[in-house]
Amino acid sequence: MILNYIKIAFRTLRKNKGYSFLNIFGLAIGITCASLIFLWVEDELSFDSNFPKQDQVYFVSTHQEYEGEWRTFGSTPGPLAEAMKAEIPGVVRASKTRGLDLLFSVGDNVVNRFGRYVDNDFLDIFSLTFIEGNSAEAFKNPESIVITQATAEQLYGEHEKVVGKILKVNSTDNYLISGVIENLPNNVSYPFAWLAPFERYGRDKEFTREYGSFFADTFAELSPDADFEAVDAQVRNLLQEQTGDADSKAFLHSIKDWHLRADFENGEQVGGRIDSVKLFTVIALIILLIACINFMNLSTARSEKRANEVGVRKAMGSGRARLMIQFISEALILAFIATLVSVILLLVLLPQFNLLIEKDLVLGLSKPSHILFLLGIAIICGVFAGLYPAFYLSSFKPVEVLKGLKVTQGSATFIRKGLVVGQFTISIVFIVSTILVYQQIQHVKNRDLGYSKDQLISMKVTGAMIEKFSVIKQDLKNTGAISNVGLSNSNILNGGNNGSNLTWTGGVDTEDILISFRLVNAEFFETTGMELKEGHGFSENRAKDSASVLITESFAKLMGKGSAIGKKVTLDDTYTVVGVVKDFLYGDMYGASDPVLFLNYHDEASFMYLKTNSEIPTNDMLAKVEAVMKTHNPAFPFEYSFLDETFNAKFKSEQLVEKLSQLFALLAILISCLGLFGLAAYTAEQRSKEIGVRKVLGASVSGIVKLLSKDFLKLVGISIVIAIPMAWYAMENWLQNYAYRIEINGWIFVIAGVVAIIIAMVTVSFQAIRAAIANPVDSLKTE
Amino acid sequence: MKTILVSLNEATRTVNSGRHKITLLDNINLNVEEGEFISLMGPSGSGKSTLLNCIGMLDNFTDGGYTFLGQPVHRMKEKNRSKLYKEYIGFVFQAYHLIDELTVYENIETPLLYKNVKSSERKAMVADMLDRFNIVGKKDLFPIQLSGGQQQLVGIARALIGQPKLILADEPTGNLNSKQSEEIMELFAQLNKEGVTIIQATHSESNAAYGSRIINLLDGKIV
Repeated sequence: MILNYIKIAFRTLRKNKGYSFLNIFGLAIGITCASLIFLWVEDELSFDSNFPKQDQVYFVSTHQEYEGEWRTFGSTPGPLAEAMKAEIPGVVRASKTRGLDLLFSVGDNVVNRFGRYVDNDFLDIFSLTFIEGNSAEAFKNPESIVITQATAEQLYGEHEKVVGKILKVNSTDNYLISGVIENLPNNVSYPFAWLAPFERYGRDKEFTREYGSFFADTFAELSPDADFEAVDAQVRNLLQEQTGDADSKAFLHSIKDWHLRADFENGEQVGGRIDSVKLFTVIALIILLIACINFMNLSTARSEKRANEVGVRKAMGSGRARLMIQFISEALILAFIATLVSVILLLVLLPQFNLLIEKDLVLGLSKPSHILFLLGIAIICGVFAGLYPAFYLSSFKPVEVLKGLKVTQGSATFIRKGLVVGQFTISIVFIVSTILVYQQIQHVKNRDLGYSKDQLISMKVTGAMIEKFSVIKQDLKNTGAISNVGLSNSNILNGGNNGSNLTWTGGVDTEDILISFRLVNAEFFETTGMELKEGHGFSENRAKDSASVLITESFAKLMGKGSAIGKKVTLDDTYTVVGVVKDFLYGDMYGASDPVLFLNYHDEASFMYLKTNSEIPTNDMLAKVEAVMKTHNPAFPFEYSFLDETFNAKFKSEQLVEKLSQLFALLAILISCLGLFGLAAYTAEQRSKEIGVRKVLGASVSGIVKLLSKDFLKLVGISIVIAIPMAWYAMENWLQNYAYRIEINGWIFVIAGVVAIIIAMVTVSFQAIRAAIANPVDSLKTE
Repeated sequence: MKTILVSLNEATRTVNSGRHKITLLDNINLNVEEGEFISLMGPSGSGKSTLLNCIGMLDNFTDGGYTFLGQPVHRMKEKNRSKLYKEYIGFVFQAYHLIDELTVYENIETPLLYKNVKSSERKAMVADMLDRFNIVGKKDLFPIQLSGGQQQLVGIARALIGQPKLILADEPTGNLNSKQSEEIMELFAQLNKEGVTIIQATHSESNAAYGSRIINLLDGKIV
């Protein structure tokens, strides 16, 4: 029996090639799209899951209160880790860590790698696997370093016989390689390429032993039977006792939440990546749904052709259940073929998709879970898509259909129209969302930053760049490629050092206001294009500015009415405000930035900024800069980034939403069009006699095209009416996530509606015109 | 004494068309004995097809009694009814109604599938039937590749494969030319001789003459 079904299914497929193609291709696109999303979701959900102690490992963060608002920071004081381990019973291991880039050189082979200075416990908290060496011995010598297999291979071309070698670090220090550990997978929240004893880092840094400085990333492991709530509270108490600061609340952040639930608002966990994961899962399901709707639609549309077969089979003694099984089997076969097609599509598209989302996903067809998933999707789609046609087709009465009476299509037509409306509603919502996401991102990108990000190169300060700064600056300018050179202790785009222990003229509750500090050189402002609103900038002669500060406008406002020039700010010493700079944006690109205080002091600068001459081609300019850097800082590789690119990178997660929503909108429309195309073809065929009669009676081609298109356009019209409030509601919600956002403009809906109508018109008219220009003799003689 | 196969007692079939009630079959009384070959005659719309469909249990009488082999069909549930006709009745249609996607062989085999006949038995039965109708050479062809007469031959073979007691044929030669018609009617006569009860609806006097009894219908009544 089943064999019979399969046979007939394949023959039906072959006989109706166009229909089969629409059906299989539509479903295959849906399955491909859903699979891509689910691969991404799987990757997101698997972050940090390779570490075995999933229920025990925590990161210590703090909520801190400023101006009545709780903000969340990852840094904690150095002594906290040890104190937690010593004083809180549930904590079995704890490690303070400090993440840094180190420059490793082996002969001519020089690489820069991010890693961490850690306590010995770190190795066991994360159950790191040693390929060479072991966790007990690794850090016995404070001058030792443990590297990952990949780092070892990059440095030495192998990962064996590496232990015991001396590694040159930052071209001055020598570290002894004491172990090689297995590589970490890509989906790790706190990655590292090397680990070294914290002792080595903290040796000459007094602040690492004090509670006053929040600089470390602290990790802790709780005993399996520890009471989380109690430990969490004790960590909080411990920090408050030690700092005497009630506005700083430490809390434990579980390893399971590091990637997915890392957004905090006013001291509360408010989600994070998990929101995107949920959103995209829903979108994947919606796309599958559209594809299944297509399938149902096309199947029921073809019901008349199958009606006769149903009648015969019933007269031959088939019960309804058997017919349903037959039609569902057919749907399943189609779904399986579609799944096979989609596997091929996935193989072709996955590399492109990886580029798009900047991940390294693999199809993993050898994984049982993936095979099961594909089978599951095929079965669910097959059954779901086949169920309605099965019910509908098997309900035909043999007497009626065998007599050649027209199948009464009342309910089926209604449902079919409903399904088309559903598909187009979703498509229009996608179109609107795509436009709005794009607008929002452009809106923020075009925001006035308070400085010019173009023609700006950023370099991390390494080696002798500070010592030889004046020579380097002069040589750079002499090349003609660089007009200004600025220095700053922190990246202009990001936060950086801040504090609330200042007082100033006219200041009220100053300890409650977080001020950012920027240690810069005089030329920093000219380099970045920051605008001086009042007073004057810093002097090239730093001695003159030993008691001067520049502040931003928002800081000036905190000082009360009138010019801020001449007012005093007290940090450790008291400074006089000599200039006011226009507010600039850093950190959260959607919010407003904290007030900033600038000091003319560049000895601790971490970043060098170069304003380039736009007339010199980029390649020449880079070559010239590199030559200068090689002369004065030969031990370090020339590494740089363009600030506008770094700026764009800050929108990664929004841009992912943007790209994916474009992709989904396109796919949803494509699938919907396949369905509409099939339906139009069916309608044209079904009405061929009517069209023939009308033509004989003198109807024009355009009149008939209009007649055939009208009904479909009505459906698209209904979709627009339904989609607008849905899209408006969804996008208004999405925009609420951003403090700096666009207003939803009415014309977007007009555009989306027009686009949908045009697409539907093109799809339908192709069939309508074909039907309209056909010779009526052909359609009439068959009757 | 021959067995009564079909017994109709005041059997009536009405349909509602808008506000009107139309009587398609009006108080039909009819007994069909096993081995009979009945020809139903009458003009279009006289109720021949409706009567055949109701006897074949594809349609129901709305009133009156219908007994098939002593079992009261009018009081049966749909499920039992379908079991009954699956077992005892074969249909032959004017438009053949073969399944286009199936070969000759598979078309003939289909009723056996619904009767859950084992595969080996099915093979033997279909082979017998192909033999008997001299269409072994055409078993792998699709209906579209056959002439009308050949298609109807397959239709009859399909109706017979389940070894029914009763064959219901609605204008079996309506789409055929006279030569093909004659062959089909000869075949019916032959089958009837072998013991199959046949009820056919026909317009043609000559076809009707093959039957052992002619029943004339007019406006839903036997005249």
